[in-house]
Amino acid sequence: MIELNKITKKFTLHNQGKTKISVFKNLNLKINPGEIVALTGPSGVGKSSILKMIYGNYVFQSGEIKINNHNIDHKYPRNIIELRKNTIGYVSQFLRVIPRVPTIEIVMEPLLEINSDQDEVREKAEKTLIKLNIDKNLWNLSPLTFSGGEQQRVNVARGLIRNYPCLLLDEPTASLDSVNKDIVLNLINEKKDKGSSIIGIFHDKYSRKYLNAREIDITKISNAK
Amino acid sequence: MEPILSVQNLNKYYGDQVGCKNMNMTLYPGEVVGVVGESGSGKTTFINSISGNLIPDSGKILINTNNEIINFLEISESLKRLLIRTELAFVHQNPRDGLRLDVSAGGNISERLMSIGQRNYGNIRQTIFKWLDKVEIDKSRVDDFPRTFSGGMLQRLQIAKNLVTSPKIIFMDEPTGGLDVSVQAKILDLLRKLVRELNLSVVIVSHDLAVIRLLADKIIVMKNGEAVESGLCDQVLDDPQHSYTQLLVSSVLQV
Repeated sequence: MIELNKITKKFTLHNQGKTKISVFKNLNLKINPGEIVALTGPSGVGKSSILKMIYGNYVFQSGEIKINNHNIDHKYPRNIIELRKNTIGYVSQFLRVIPRVPTIEIVMEPLLEINSDQDEVREKAEKTLIKLNIDKNLWNLSPLTFSGGEQQRVNVARGLIRNYPCLLLDEPTASLDSVNKDIVLNLINEKKDKGSSIIGIFHDKYSRKYLNAREIDITKISNAK
Repeated sequence: MEPILSVQNLNKYYGDQVGCKNMNMTLYPGEVVGVVGESGSGKTTFINSISGNLIPDSGKILINTNNEIINFLEISESLKRLLIRTELAFVHQNPRDGLRLDVSAGGNISERLMSIGQRNYGNIRQTIFKWLDKVEIDKSRVDDFPRTFSGGMLQRLQIAKNLVTSPKIIFMDEPTGGLDVSVQAKILDLLRKLVRELNLSVVIVSHDLAVIRLLADKIIVMKNGEAVESGLCDQVLDDPQHSYTQLLVSSVLQV
């Protein structure tokens, strides 16, 4: 379960005339287990900011964020690190990896955090890559040279190889063709059926309908224009 | 879980000049802390002060060793030397500072083993080969002198030399500085794997934010000898609160 209670978020740009940008005042949001919430609204309205606050990348000025009853509190970075290891999965829009590391190893990594059996983890990573239509010839290459859609599917594979109780998805289907989009959406539905609380940004109506997501229009609750 | 290393109110002055002041840090097992800041901000003074290379003027360095917490600054010289050879390790920016160039590669790796009393040549030789393999240096180079190695190989040899006694805490000062980017990628991959496999705790100094982003869980941003901001690495780099961190993050060139 993901809960945001009375969140205030603003940015202060110290080197640009101390400009203050207020994004949220009194933001409340709750995502139950087995539920998918889709954030909607134009760019710049604060959709990604919500995901980044939940994952701990962004601080917030007041209010509380609870993940399975654990607080996201920046005074205790250790707790956030533990939550990321065991509870929250995040599929970002962009792939950030060490150059030259093979795709298969990148997909294996989150699972190796909790399972040290290399062969077992490799087998699971291979299955995930097969599911996501990543050609076997590519497994031992670094994804940095892949096409946009392939990179995105590697990112999805890495994020969905484990069953996190909470999942954050930042446009996981944005650069995919329709066949691969359905594959990714089915995988997300599997996670939902397993009881994950899922919140995401899906910029096409098709994906949101396919996932039967509860839509929340951020324009109505955001301060950013 | 208890921290393996905890630094409290550490100060180091060079005469009237501040080296670093009022520094605090907690490091948990398996965690990587990055220390960033411009040249002269006190990064190296800090890492040298907490690793036994420099003696700080005041503060506490608490190390958790075998479930006993000791203050590194209050123990005897002999215990300190033993810790430095067993539980702690220091990887220098320039591998030539951390290696003996007139001793073979294998000899370099075996030094720490022998210093803690291992004498069985067969066992030592086996451990050397295991570590050469881990850092991807060909076994056939075991008896070659480090001066015949490339820069990237030297750095990997230095890492092997330091990790052979399974230290718990590794200090690294710009471990990929001065290496070309393809070699840097290989070292970063190696470091990440070793941290995960051996549950290492690492303090790493670098001026390269991209390197810190890929390796570190937490970060300390230094300026003029002080920490201006610290916390979760992703947060400090994505949503910096201090004006200096904002400047630092916005100054990185995009490729």
